[in-house]
Amino acid sequence: MENTTSLNNEQQVILDLLPQKFGLRGKIWTASLIVICLVGAFAYYRQLKNGLVVTNMRDYVSWGIYISNFVFFVAISLVGSLITAIFRLARIPWRTPLTRISEMIAVSAITFASLIIIVDMGRPERLLNLFLHGRLQSPIMWDVIVIGTYFCISLFLLYITLIPDISMLIKAKDKLGKPFSKLYRFLGGFWKSDAGMEKKRDRIITILCILIIPVAFCIHTVTSWLFATTYRPGWDSTNFGAYFVSGAFLVGAGGVVVAMYVFRKAYKLEKYITDMHFDKMGRMLVLLALLYLYFNVNEYLIPAFKMKKSEEAHLTQLFSGEYSLMFWFAIMVGMIIPIFILIFKKGRKPVPMFIAGVMVVVGAWFKRYLIVTPTLLHPLLPMYNVPGNYHAYFPSWEEWAISIGTLAGALLIITILARIFPVVSIYKTLTEDNEKID
Amino acid sequence: MKKSINNTFFFICCSLLFIMSDNSVCAQNEAVVTEKQLKLYYVNSNNSLQYLVVQTNLKTGKNIAPNKNVSVQLYLDSNSTTNLIGKFITDAEGKGKAFLPPSLKSVWDASSLHKFIAVPEYGGKEEVSPTEIEITKARITLDTASSDGVRSISVKVERNENDKWVPVKDVELKIGVQRLGGILPAGETATYTTDSSGTAKVDLKKDSLPGDEKGNLLLVAKVEDNEFFGNLIIEKNANWGVPTTIDNTFFNQRTLWTTRFKTPYWLLFMAYSIVIGVWGTLIYLVMQFFRLRKIGRINT
Repeated sequence: MENTTSLNNEQQVILDLLPQKFGLRGKIWTASLIVICLVGAFAYYRQLKNGLVVTNMRDYVSWGIYISNFVFFVAISLVGSLITAIFRLARIPWRTPLTRISEMIAVSAITFASLIIIVDMGRPERLLNLFLHGRLQSPIMWDVIVIGTYFCISLFLLYITLIPDISMLIKAKDKLGKPFSKLYRFLGGFWKSDAGMEKKRDRIITILCILIIPVAFCIHTVTSWLFATTYRPGWDSTNFGAYFVSGAFLVGAGGVVVAMYVFRKAYKLEKYITDMHFDKMGRMLVLLALLYLYFNVNEYLIPAFKMKKSEEAHLTQLFSGEYSLMFWFAIMVGMIIPIFILIFKKGRKPVPMFIAGVMVVVGAWFKRYLIVTPTLLHPLLPMYNVPGNYHAYFPSWEEWAISIGTLAGALLIITILARIFPVVSIYKTLTEDNEKID
Repeated sequence: MKKSINNTFFFICCSLLFIMSDNSVCAQNEAVVTEKQLKLYYVNSNNSLQYLVVQTNLKTGKNIAPNKNVSVQLYLDSNSTTNLIGKFITDAEGKGKAFLPPSLKSVWDASSLHKFIAVPEYGGKEEVSPTEIEITKARITLDTASSDGVRSISVKVERNENDKWVPVKDVELKIGVQRLGGILPAGETATYTTDSSGTAKVDLKKDSLPGDEKGNLLLVAKVEDNEFFGNLIIEKNANWGVPTTIDNTFFNQRTLWTTRFKTPYWLLFMAYSIVIGVWGTLIYLVMQFFRLRKIGRINT
């Protein structure tokens, strides 16, 4: 009798977690993302045709919204290492429903981090020159190497953890239909659930988890060094690596919370992504927000206390000038308000958690914009006799379209991955259920 | 309780006082008038190049800011079109410059005393009064002498009087060596004064000053803002410095700022260690995966 119940439970779990066809809302969502991506592609075509002159980047602000977006993508991609690797190595028992989501976010984010760098290049066909003639002394070269490495590791980690699930998807052919059966057979047709193979796969995952943590730290530290090795007000900081890594953990965790809520709602996963998961993630989000706030205090308050002449214009612009509204919005919405929401138990329920997660992600995007752009308006050696519009920057419609297109593209990758593969590991859920029964 | 009320009362009083004082400051600011200023300078460089420099400012209270984009016309002796020296618009620093044109040579040669007139146009309907300065033609010469290891600089200032050059005494001037940041005084004092023969002499006390590749130092004498003669500058090269050798080997060293072929060894070691370590592990794991795939296929 117990065995029959267990079998029924197992079938129910498989049924619940199998990838589902898009409903009407899913189709509208996907179509909207595709349209936004196409608009972005058209804007990029215009940029390719006419050159970077279609952007509003000039000699002063040569890194604009593209690099802000790049830093944002790199930051959010760090979540793959946080949830999958750190939680696995720390043996966090409640991690299972979150790992796949975070791996998907990591893969899509790092893909678009790589692409947006190419978009920022005036002559993308010269990308190959970076490998043929690149200087190892340049932090940009380090970034290219580490992003490529992180992309490969993230993709490999996502795939290797998916294999037993893919094997189950092949078995559930009757329920899933034909669309992806060939893909499933190619990716996981070889898998047999025996102890030997499972042990080998487990070993690969453990080594990957150990490997991905330093690489993830490197990717964001090196990205911070792109700024910190440049002598400019606002970037001239020895603290930048830690500041960027802490911010990346925060936005990554925020992104996972948002995705948890959306997938739970869309795929009716309330049994698997429970209030307990939101509560735990909420606690972690508070900790990460406090940590990032601490680094922000260090980054802004100490230079403001000294108010060196070279930093004055930059800091004044942030605190009370042209960018003050955005600056205080990023601080309040990206850190302080979420802390106040999540510090209370009621705030760690799914809906307030979703709101706090959205706030963290939106605040983080603006924070990256503030890190990149205002600094460039105040170089230590100002240029003379430049046209007046060089002294200000607001992205052109092409820049907005491309940037929003890349954000939509990242969401589209997550959507497609969620359509093809289970967002919560079926295999792991069943194994844990069986362990509980035993 | 009473103490707390007193504190609150004190806080409110302080706040009100602060707000009121702040408003009074604002009121004072509103009353401050902005004054447009124009300063005119005459410069004679090496007795061969005469030009005029204009500085336009906006003075608000104690603050002085450059007044840019002001159209200024400069005249010699009278503001008629025939005596027009030049016309320009001041730059972002409120500055403008005009050289004496060859067409005014006859007017310039005709007298020892000249008047320069600057007429600004601020764009509004307000009346503007021209700024004028009077200049007596003067020249400045610099000679060097070296004996018994003592290197001396002699500077002479003369004014033009009925086509003759007459020495001028009591003219204050700077004598020194031109450096990147300004004039390095030749002696121990910052300025010198001419004697009755119109001459100021100074020994160059500073040894081993770096010169150019041949060891040349640029000696400079400068009369600044003299009420009769304006600004007079004379420069002369003297082979009194230490030749500077350019270190070309610098570019052949392995540093962070050279070409990719000169990457420092420590960086190469670190970068390759990390890349080989990470990618080596990754390749090993991919191989393990293919082995797993193979085992699976065999079992099937």
